[in-house]
Amino acid sequence: MSSDALWWRVAWRNLWRNAHRTWITASGLAFGYFASIVLVGLTDGMNAELVENGTRLMVGQVQIHAGDYLPERNMHRTIGGYGGTDVESLLTRIEDHPDIEHATPRLFGGGLLSSGERTVAGLLLGVDAEREVHVSTLLATLDEGRLPRGGAFEVVIGQEMARQLEAGVGDEVVVVVPAADGSMGNDLFTVSGIFQTGTPGIDRDYAVLPLADLQSLMAMAPGRIHEIVTTVTRSRETPAIAASLAAALETTAPEDPEPLDVKPWTELRPELHEAVALMDSMSFVIVIIIFAMAVFGVANTMLIGTFERRREFAVIRALGTTGSSVSRTVVYEGVMLGAISLAAGALVTWPVMVWWHRTPPDLSRWLRGFEWTGVQWRPVLRVEYSVDAPVVTGVALFATAIFAAAYPAWRATRVPPADALADR
Amino acid sequence: MTDLSVRTEDVWKIYPQEPEPVEAVRGITLEIESGDFVAMAGPSGCGKTTLLNMIGGLTDATRGRIWVGDHEMTRMSPKERARLRLDHIGFVFQAYNLLPVLSALENAEFTLLLRGVPAAERRRRVHALFDEIGLEGLADRRPGRLSGGQQQRVAVARAVVGEPALVLADEPTANLDSAASASLLDTMERLNREHGTTFVFATHDPRVMDRARRLIRLVDGRIESDERDAPVRPGETHAPATSTG
Repeated sequence: MSSDALWWRVAWRNLWRNAHRTWITASGLAFGYFASIVLVGLTDGMNAELVENGTRLMVGQVQIHAGDYLPERNMHRTIGGYGGTDVESLLTRIEDHPDIEHATPRLFGGGLLSSGERTVAGLLLGVDAEREVHVSTLLATLDEGRLPRGGAFEVVIGQEMARQLEAGVGDEVVVVVPAADGSMGNDLFTVSGIFQTGTPGIDRDYAVLPLADLQSLMAMAPGRIHEIVTTVTRSRETPAIAASLAAALETTAPEDPEPLDVKPWTELRPELHEAVALMDSMSFVIVIIIFAMAVFGVANTMLIGTFERRREFAVIRALGTTGSSVSRTVVYEGVMLGAISLAAGALVTWPVMVWWHRTPPDLSRWLRGFEWTGVQWRPVLRVEYSVDAPVVTGVALFATAIFAAAYPAWRATRVPPADALADR
Repeated sequence: MTDLSVRTEDVWKIYPQEPEPVEAVRGITLEIESGDFVAMAGPSGCGKTTLLNMIGGLTDATRGRIWVGDHEMTRMSPKERARLRLDHIGFVFQAYNLLPVLSALENAEFTLLLRGVPAAERRRRVHALFDEIGLEGLADRRPGRLSGGQQQRVAVARAVVGEPALVLADEPTANLDSAASASLLDTMERLNREHGTTFVFATHDPRVMDRARRLIRLVDGRIESDERDAPVRPGETHAPATSTG
């Protein structure tokens, strides 16, 4: 046994001289670990909810456009230029990326919708319904009716637009839209469904119809689309995935005449990104406060412990031990206390987190959903967990225990041997 | 074994207390030869423990100089003093002061371990010493399960197992009965005789004074007398000891 092993042994046995005190202190640290993991998990859950709700309704997590489409959204700036692109081939290339789950094409037009005497301005969204349902939840919010069928001149409209047009399912609306050839495209569509997203702007302004029908109405070739929207495997890492996708698209199609603009949701909805960053910062500050409180509690306990052992420190100093060795044994106590606390904390925390993640409490009996930062929130207490949180919190717990031991350790080195032996 | 004599030159220890500073040791000059068996005696508060602590480098002298062998204790850093104690000086305390979390064997081998002596050698030396001083079979017991006499013998074993040149013992027999005290002193005398270990006691136990070859009497922080083979005075009884000197 080396002298270092001796100090570890002394530290371990000292911890158990007062087992109650050790367990109470360890419980405090373990609770700090539990509270931090749960808090970070809840914040991650809220962030995930924020990102998913904020991107899944329409925005998606990555959008791909022609380089000069945004921000003006000029109708002529379709992917691949005026000639358009091979949409299926491009979708395949995008979905080949390992971090892309689904992709869907879109075409936008701005026009007027009329029913009887009433006319409203609206945004026309052409979609491939089969693909769209995997990427956005817009079509899943149908309140009445069904999805529009391609070639049947059907359209679904938002609830507010329906109210303003006084139109219901089965009613006819006239759609007028500027076409790519300079003419005005117009046709008669039947309302096949009415959606209600809960987001007033979308429910008021959007009309969704099959991609091919809108292309036809706007005198555009089948290869002309404005946007491809995708979902990704890890939404928090979307910027990196978007960069990687952009590089992959450049590599696989260097001959494309128009460079593609690949944007993550963090750029498309910067307010969401900032809200996520704000919540992360808040949870970080709260975790710091939790561990700062723990530092004082543990330091106090360890200080009492070292004060009680003044005479022992004096003896080992008298026997020829240096101050650094004396402080080492106190720090080792901190390390062991940290290890015990971490083990106890993990044993309690992880089953709770797994259960909570799998069955998040649904508060809809008491709370209604609400809108924040333009995002609909479900009244669900969702938690998420990752590898980062336990590692970072575990390190924080150890740092707390060691930091809390630092002052008592320093005090132990300052014990004057002769005075302590004389109980002065 | 290193030849370690002790020399002090006009050593003072003054505690800055209100309303008056306390002069615990007042200008003591003495020399203790290597291999001697010396008792410093005197009433409580006479300065004997303080002097012992200054010789061992546990507390600084306010004035004066102290040499242990060639080492001037009063000029050494705390780290250097710790190293000197580890290698050459053994301590025995009045209240045993064993570490309660270590067994008797672990307490006794403490200094050997700090010196890096291999485990087998440590165990061999400690067991041999335990057999010699009547601690056989008690190696695994923690101090709480040993009698006062047994604890003090473990403390002596801890002090001498590393064969230090100098042992400083503060009231080593204060809490022991006559038989345990005699046995302990026998052990110390034998170590002094066989290994040439220098023993310096702070005591007011006549049994220790009886055995000492040199008796230094302190009164009020000064040397009152310094005699070789001095008889114990009739009035000196085994009074309750304190460690304040």
